[in-house]
Amino acid sequence: MTISESGASAVFGALADPTRRRLLSAIAEQPATATELAGDLPISRQAVVKHLSALADAGLLERERAGREVRYRVTPAPLSDAVSWIAEVGAQWDARLASLARTLDAGNRS
Amino acid sequence: MVDRIERELLLPAPPEEVWEVVTGPGWLADEVALELFPGGDARFSSNGEPKSGWVEEVLAPGTTEGGGGRLAFWWGTDGDPATRVELTLKPDGDAATRLRVVEARPLELLDLVGIPLPGTSGPSYGPAMLMAA
Repeated sequence: MTISESGASAVFGALADPTRRRLLSAIAEQPATATELAGDLPISRQAVVKHLSALADAGLLERERAGREVRYRVTPAPLSDAVSWIAEVGAQWDARLASLARTLDAGNRS
Repeated sequence: MVDRIERELLLPAPPEEVWEVVTGPGWLADEVALELFPGGDARFSSNGEPKSGWVEEVLAPGTTEGGGGRLAFWWGTDGDPATRVELTLKPDGDAATRLRVVEARPLELLDLVGIPLPGTSGPSYGPAMLMAA
């Protein structure tokens, strides 16, 4: 298992929850604190903090101090996992297809 | 969509022959055990790393109108989300097959939340010869 694949797995887990997707979407538009986010949602600030922690643990959010609060912003870093997945799995398919072309080419020439 | 790999290749053999190779041992993985019916088990192993999943759709060439074929299955390693693979075979002339491969993983979620993915406008991966064949 490569690091990039397990990282992608953490991202999927964090995004499996609709509330977390909504929070992430809101923060992607504008960095915000848990209090600000809780004001827009029918859930407690405490619940928002829990969701934000899950998103941050997956590497999707970064924290920064904002006075006595913590402001969250989206970090694009783990999304590069998608790119490495494309590269890695794509290379595997290229190798399979090249070997298939060789096999069938040889088979039909002899 | 960035969570999707797509390849197409023209092969100098009829669909039946291509089907035999792509569903047989040694191509999808070093070891392949595919139950070729919907819901069947799919087990693979490459370099000692096992993968498992299930078969979604099987249309063997020769059983279809037009002589094409399609195999769709899911595979994944323990603890990771599975990805879906679809192989489509279309006859091209008398003795050639156009093989299309798509592997996708459930990353649409990232699109759903509207986060731009880096590198999406970069060059596509893979030898140009394969695409040009």
